[in-house]
Amino acid sequence: MNRKLTRRSVTAGLALGALASPGLGIGIARAQTKAVKIAMIAPLSGPWARQGQLLRMGSDMAVDDINSQGGIKALGGAKLEIIYADAGDSTEKAKNAAQRLLSDHPDLVGGSGAWLSSFTLAVTEVTERAQLPWLTLSYSDAITNRGFKFVFQTSPTADWQASETLPTAIKLAEAATGKRPKTIGIIQDNTASPVSFGKQLREGGGLDKVGLKPVVDQIFTPPLSDATPLVDKVRSGKPDFLLLLTSAMPDCKLVLEKLDEFKLSKGKVPLVGNGAPFGSPELLKTIGPELLEGLLFSVANWPMKGQEEFIERFKKRTGEPFLTQDGLCGYGDVAILKEALELAGAADKLKVAEAIRTMNLTTGPAAQSFPGPIKFDDKGRRQDVPMIFAQWQKGMPVTVFPTELALAKPFWPSV
Amino acid sequence: MRTRAEARRQRWAILGFAVAILVLSFVVLKSAYYQLVLTQVLLWAVLSLAWNLLSGYSGYFSFGHAAFWGLGAYTVALGMLYFDLTPWISVPFAALVGAVAGAIIGYPTFRLRGHYFALAMLAYPLATLYVFQWLGYQELALPMKREAPLLYMQFEDPRAYVVLALGLVVAALLISLKVENSRFGMALLAIKQNEPAAEAAGINTWRWKMLALMLSGAIAAIAGGLYGVVLLVVTPETVFGMLVSAQALILALFGGVGSLWGPVIGAMLLVPLAEGLNAELGDVLPGIQGVVYGIAIIMIILWAPEGVYWRALDRLSRRSPAPHAPEPAAGTIATPVAANVAPLPRAPAPLGDDLLVLRDVGISFGGLRALDGIDLAIPEGGLYGIIGPNGAGKTTLFNVINGFLAPDPGAITLSGEPITGLRPSQVCRRGVGRTFQVVRAFPRMTVLENVIVGAFVGAPDDAAARQMALAALDRVGLSARSGAIAGGLTTRELRLMELARALVPHPKLMLLDETLAGLAHDDLDGILTVIRQLRADGITVVIIEHTMQAMVKLVDHFTVLDHGRLIASGQPNDVVRDPSVIEAYLGKKWVDRVAVPAK
Repeated sequence: MNRKLTRRSVTAGLALGALASPGLGIGIARAQTKAVKIAMIAPLSGPWARQGQLLRMGSDMAVDDINSQGGIKALGGAKLEIIYADAGDSTEKAKNAAQRLLSDHPDLVGGSGAWLSSFTLAVTEVTERAQLPWLTLSYSDAITNRGFKFVFQTSPTADWQASETLPTAIKLAEAATGKRPKTIGIIQDNTASPVSFGKQLREGGGLDKVGLKPVVDQIFTPPLSDATPLVDKVRSGKPDFLLLLTSAMPDCKLVLEKLDEFKLSKGKVPLVGNGAPFGSPELLKTIGPELLEGLLFSVANWPMKGQEEFIERFKKRTGEPFLTQDGLCGYGDVAILKEALELAGAADKLKVAEAIRTMNLTTGPAAQSFPGPIKFDDKGRRQDVPMIFAQWQKGMPVTVFPTELALAKPFWPSV
Repeated sequence: MRTRAEARRQRWAILGFAVAILVLSFVVLKSAYYQLVLTQVLLWAVLSLAWNLLSGYSGYFSFGHAAFWGLGAYTVALGMLYFDLTPWISVPFAALVGAVAGAIIGYPTFRLRGHYFALAMLAYPLATLYVFQWLGYQELALPMKREAPLLYMQFEDPRAYVVLALGLVVAALLISLKVENSRFGMALLAIKQNEPAAEAAGINTWRWKMLALMLSGAIAAIAGGLYGVVLLVVTPETVFGMLVSAQALILALFGGVGSLWGPVIGAMLLVPLAEGLNAELGDVLPGIQGVVYGIAIIMIILWAPEGVYWRALDRLSRRSPAPHAPEPAAGTIATPVAANVAPLPRAPAPLGDDLLVLRDVGISFGGLRALDGIDLAIPEGGLYGIIGPNGAGKTTLFNVINGFLAPDPGAITLSGEPITGLRPSQVCRRGVGRTFQVVRAFPRMTVLENVIVGAFVGAPDDAAARQMALAALDRVGLSARSGAIAGGLTTRELRLMELARALVPHPKLMLLDETLAGLAHDDLDGILTVIRQLRADGITVVIIEHTMQAMVKLVDHFTVLDHGRLIASGQPNDVVRDPSVIEAYLGKKWVDRVAVPAK
């Protein structure tokens, strides 16, 4: 007993000493204004650098907004400080970035990232062990299937999106044309997220449930050199609509141009996609508004009704033509962490995590940044989230579903 | 081949390295981040050591070591996900997967050489990448085992991974050292420097190359397996990607290719440099870290083109020159030979049965009939000359006999046993030694090492090989030069060295390809004496020459080749008067002029 106590007190003493020794004198004076640190890991270099930059634009804006509006009120107006780390182009670099952040900044109270699912999987292996609450927009189900307690997925998972996309698309088609689509064509590549999406449709009963017959079902390995064989199948199969699951822009462009060449564009075969890349400014730049017109895509998060002022500010601040999922989620994740800090009332990662687990936000900047309330289940997935659909209309990807969040009315391209 | 003392020193160095890493991990580095980077340094070092084992030693450059690395990582990930297999079992099992993959890859790919081999190797990881994508393994996360983390190699303390990775590095270093110091390493070095010569010296090059690739694949796969455990996420791009293969190659080239420590040096310098740049510049000026890294590599390559290790070694040896054996004076070298310079009596020794028999041997290169209907019987114990003008097919004939080329049609027997279509190393094992028109030495090895390569055929162990090699050097009178680097020898010494290499497995038959060419008159006599001595020792000698003068003095039987055909055969003095021979050498006009006095 005696011995135990001694050992414990020695440990505690050492820990205290370690904590207090750097700058003991000014520690107290500063306590009032000491910034609260959060982190973001995003691909800032490499093939996904653009998405990482968009994410960063959103989170930078959120930090500025929060600090200019008086910081964290529950912490006496403490400023929020965000630390960025580059996830680069590999899971190894992403994991290293996470480990480095934790080593260099043991006082982090939360974080967000790392955009690509495989990066997020690696990063959260580190943050979970450090019990650091971590938010992510990545879709993969695996992220919140591992029984982790400190990972919170703000996007609906890939499987859920796969199961919700087709019923919603059919609803939109029926509402617009009065006719229920019977056949579907699928063109997809074999990268991670299209594969899990396609698996849900074929093996998970996603097609049977909505009674769609696949008349075209093609999987290709990127990069695509020629879309003719794929689009030729579409021409002969004549599906009621085409589900396009591509992850690389050049492939998407090839398919769309070939559809146009075969006179299947402009609504002859309505197009449905999944994921934020279908609404990126780059797609508009390379493909042009004509070929995109009418393309519908389901997505985790997209600018919605009620964000008009915010969208304008974002465009003005960044010079981007429009706001997308990445900028919105970057902003939203920081806003969630801020709310959690307010609720926790302490710059303590365990308390922040607990606050995120129990929060149920329906108003405020955090809630406004995402469709549906900010409320997480045991796995760390958001509850009661609607499936968002956006559509290219006159060179702009605008949210068209659900109606209460829509910025425009959907139309079902038909001839 | 290193001496035993040197090998012992290297083992101490490896131990010292291990202790240094442990001190670094347990005493110096405090943060989990540095432990993680250190683990990666060690794992990449293992991959690079594996690459070096094949490519550094044998010279067969592989651009595809990611194939093994990735298979190792996937073995571990799939084993855990689908069979709940602990990495304690699946990581060692990955070595087996890597070795099998090495065999499967090597079997077709070793038909290629040089750049073709390197490019073909590039294809394997890229192809496997697509296979794993197609199988639906785009993103595998190793499940976190909360109940029994130790059973699944999931440690709280990152130092445990450092220890595991260090274990792999030490094992890979010891294996490399063992290989370097055995006939395995000698064979690989010989292959790197001159594969045909190695094959002709009795080394089964194909077997050693396959073994090297399998061993290399096993080591790379086991490291890949542990990499999967450390990273916990396995995707085809990160384990089969081009960057992995490049990493293996860059680290070894940077550190010092073909050296024991090169890959480790490369990993210790470059991996932390890259990571440090990522950490310092990644969020400030994203992407610039790659530029700085590239510039650093270019600078180092300019400063040390062969790698840091060799450059440092050069620096050190320049400062304290290694004690070289004093060069013996020219006279002393020649002594054993000079003593025998007195012309031997030209005694056509009693000839035995036919040792080598060629029946209707032919071969074509495209439309050119290089050999056509050659029938030849070489009796045992003779000194047999084959002459002919340039392009007559003399060397081709040797290549057909010793197995570099397969005759079509034709049959060749040695002591009554068919040897048609055997590999050169197999022909060598049956007692056929050969030298080359252009001496095929292993230029970066010592004279003794050059000869030892030939001794592996008959020697039961490496020590015996050394003894046999020394004896052979003595026989040709080159003992005094045994420690010299072959690259610095004179033509005469090179010829003698090659002769010793061919002699060392005690061949029945020696094929000498223009051994006398390019020698000064004084040197000529020395070599002739050695050749005569061979015959006196009971070795049948077949020698190619195109200068008749020396040959007439030397051989007891002449065969003349022209345009791939035998045009004359017999006693030297008769053959040189044969009109068809004169025509072949000098043209038709001369036949008449020479023929007149003969009448």
